[in-house]
Amino acid sequence: MHTPHNAHVKRLLAALIILFVIGFFAKQAFQPKSFGKYGHYRADAIMEEANRPMRLMTNPSCVKCHPYEAGHQMTGLHKTISCEFCHGAYADHIKDGKKIGTLPVKRNAEITTLCLRCHNRAIEARPKQVIKTVVMPDHLRAQKVDEKHSCNQCHYVHAPLKYINHSKKIMGLI
Amino acid sequence: MKNSTKILDEDRRSFIKKVLKGTIAGSLLLVIPAGGNALEDIPAQIPGIRDKEWDMSKKRFAFIVDITRCIGCGSCCVADKREYNVPDHNYRTWVERYLKDFDDNIYVDCPNGGLDGYQKPREDLDVPIRDTFFVPKLCNMCKDAPCTQVCPVGATFTTPDGFVIVDSKRCVGCGYCIQACPYSVRFLNPVTKTAEKCTWCYHRVRKGMLPACVNVCPTGARKFGDLNDKESEVSKILSGPGVITVLKKEMGTDPSLYYIGARREVI
Amino acid sequence: MSAAHDTVASLANYVFPNDLHVHWSLMIVLYPYITGIVAGAFIVSSLYHVFGVKQLKPIARFSLLFALAFLACATFPLLNHLGHPERNMNMMLTPSPTSAMAGFGYIYSLYGMLLILEILFIYRPTMVALKAKSSGFMRGLYTILTFGSDNVGPKSLALDHKIISFLAAIGIPMACVLHGYVGFIFGGIKANPLWSTPLMPVIFLLSACVSGISGIILAYIIIKTFKKEPIDFECVQTCLNYLAGFFIIDFVFEMLEIFSHGYLRTEHWHMVDGLLWGNLYNTFWVGQVYMFSVIPMFLLGWVCLTRVHDQVLKVVASVISVLLLLQVIFMRWNVVIGGQLMSKSGRGYTDFIPQWFEKEGILVALIIMICPLIILYILSKIFPFWLEGEKTA
Repeated sequence: MHTPHNAHVKRLLAALIILFVIGFFAKQAFQPKSFGKYGHYRADAIMEEANRPMRLMTNPSCVKCHPYEAGHQMTGLHKTISCEFCHGAYADHIKDGKKIGTLPVKRNAEITTLCLRCHNRAIEARPKQVIKTVVMPDHLRAQKVDEKHSCNQCHYVHAPLKYINHSKKIMGLI
Repeated sequence: MKNSTKILDEDRRSFIKKVLKGTIAGSLLLVIPAGGNALEDIPAQIPGIRDKEWDMSKKRFAFIVDITRCIGCGSCCVADKREYNVPDHNYRTWVERYLKDFDDNIYVDCPNGGLDGYQKPREDLDVPIRDTFFVPKLCNMCKDAPCTQVCPVGATFTTPDGFVIVDSKRCVGCGYCIQACPYSVRFLNPVTKTAEKCTWCYHRVRKGMLPACVNVCPTGARKFGDLNDKESEVSKILSGPGVITVLKKEMGTDPSLYYIGARREVI
Repeated sequence: MSAAHDTVASLANYVFPNDLHVHWSLMIVLYPYITGIVAGAFIVSSLYHVFGVKQLKPIARFSLLFALAFLACATFPLLNHLGHPERNMNMMLTPSPTSAMAGFGYIYSLYGMLLILEILFIYRPTMVALKAKSSGFMRGLYTILTFGSDNVGPKSLALDHKIISFLAAIGIPMACVLHGYVGFIFGGIKANPLWSTPLMPVIFLLSACVSGISGIILAYIIIKTFKKEPIDFECVQTCLNYLAGFFIIDFVFEMLEIFSHGYLRTEHWHMVDGLLWGNLYNTFWVGQVYMFSVIPMFLLGWVCLTRVHDQVLKVVASVISVLLLLQVIFMRWNVVIGGQLMSKSGRGYTDFIPQWFEKEGILVALIIMICPLIILYILSKIFPFWLEGEKTA
């Protein structure tokens, strides 16, 4: 017998110890720097999330360049509606102060669909005290207009009762 | 917890010192870059954030959904999808439609998460309806969050200011948090292959702006605010006598998302 | 359920929009299946090495190699499933102390090391003898595997024996932890009424033993038949007896879990009830319970309680093993997939049909299940399963 009876066990233990030491240092080396600062996570991830760019920039950012539409919208019954809901995200339109794309403007039937997202009385779940709803096409019939009319033929979308009230005033109805 | 508060305090002190010494240049407003688009001329929506240093240990936010004001237009869903470019068929937030008949049977639907709004009444039901309403859903921001408990690598966590967010650079995409969330607000983003969820628009809040869905809600059904600010709408609601509920209370998750007008059948 | 009830249920079927997609697919069915086979095979070898069940000697070594072959492949389904497999080391770098899943990296590695060490010590005298007979690459390999020591004197073997007993002894709790914790990954999810039961780790552990022992019996009979070597029927019979024991307890717990859920009529029972009698009817009642539990239960009763002819035993033991291997994979399917079919809305179910050629599809699953067999074949070239006139290690 050339080797002592416990030689293999000693070599094995040495190998295991080396393995554990390497593992220990590898864990130290590869763990992200800010990990564990506030808890079991990478603290830098908080600022990374906080720095995510905004894509919807709220109505005041639209007003700057579109004062006409905004003037009506901000004073009419639709003042609580976000421009970006109907037209799309600001970030798809402007980047670093420059126009990078055109946001879609809805037309005719699209407008009716859009209006009925909120104003369709067939959806009974809408609380009456919150929103004024209509039944289609009964509303068109009652107003004695063509049933093919889209909503914007009577209602200016940015301020729905603006022109209606205006014409009523002229006719002395109010 | 104590330890992290201490560290936060130290961070804050050194931050203030730096500001006083002038080592951090310019206005505090610039601490967070707007990212591409200038924020300066857009008014803040949440007061007391932009002009102050963000002390993570002292922040307390709440989200309140007022079911009695939700008209199911789906603006919130659209805004959310646009703000984050959420891939199709995955939802950070959605709006459900509930119908209850006279036998207390509940019928719920949510076509495409409410993204296209509700254009038609349910045609498959032939029962008289007693009660019907919309329920917007989003992250409950649990104070004892099961998703952060089960994440094996610390990729999802509760920030010291109380937001549960995902570190997409560490997430391995195992999907365990998706299984653990009792509210199913999480999904695996098919593009980034990491877990994703509603963050109450943490990046907007840090810039003094409301979450995208709150900003676009035309009826004020979604309310967000600072509980430390006694004048905020959420503070007033939560200190008033109204009935406020949370979802799946029995799960013991202690949500920071509250509901007004949620019938007992809302899950 | 009455017809009227059915209509109401179908109208009311509401699934949360994010629940339509089943996130844990076939791969997560395979993962507990493979680790279960590992844990079960290890228990077989421990019965001999720790509890001195002498009849199991012919398969004591084989079952360790069988366990190692499957252990080597346990990570394959996981890596294939992860959204970011390249980040898998995050599990080792920053394991979360509160996560049931985070232990995997360390438990798996430690268990793998323990298994390899035990095999190396048990095979040392054999490898020293083989090293003398071989040359070239194999000689070098055996030198490394024996840590360069060819001392097989009585003193050295006595030391080895002590180490083997120690490793086998700590191996039992380790095997239980390895698989019990896999059960807890599911058992710890309070959001899922089918999973969140303290019985889950116990059921996983017992079914692990069932699949491990079945796998060993089947592999032993097939290999011996192909090699035209005699089968030790006393060993097979002993295995079957243990299998019967483990399986009875396993099956009782599986049924107890469903029964207590149903009897307690807990808040979420209607969801579990609708699942078991709906989408899971075929895989749970027909598959897991009737075909692959009740039938093998009778077969086990027959071969364990009566004396049957050796050739009959060979066929029946193989049949029982196949049925129980299927029982366990059906059980894994019913837990992993079944749990996800229930939407957390508490009002509806989604469905899941595995495809053949997707990333986590059936073909990939089959390839992954063949991998351990290939590894087992390679291992047999290094560590002979059976040696004639071998002394007890």
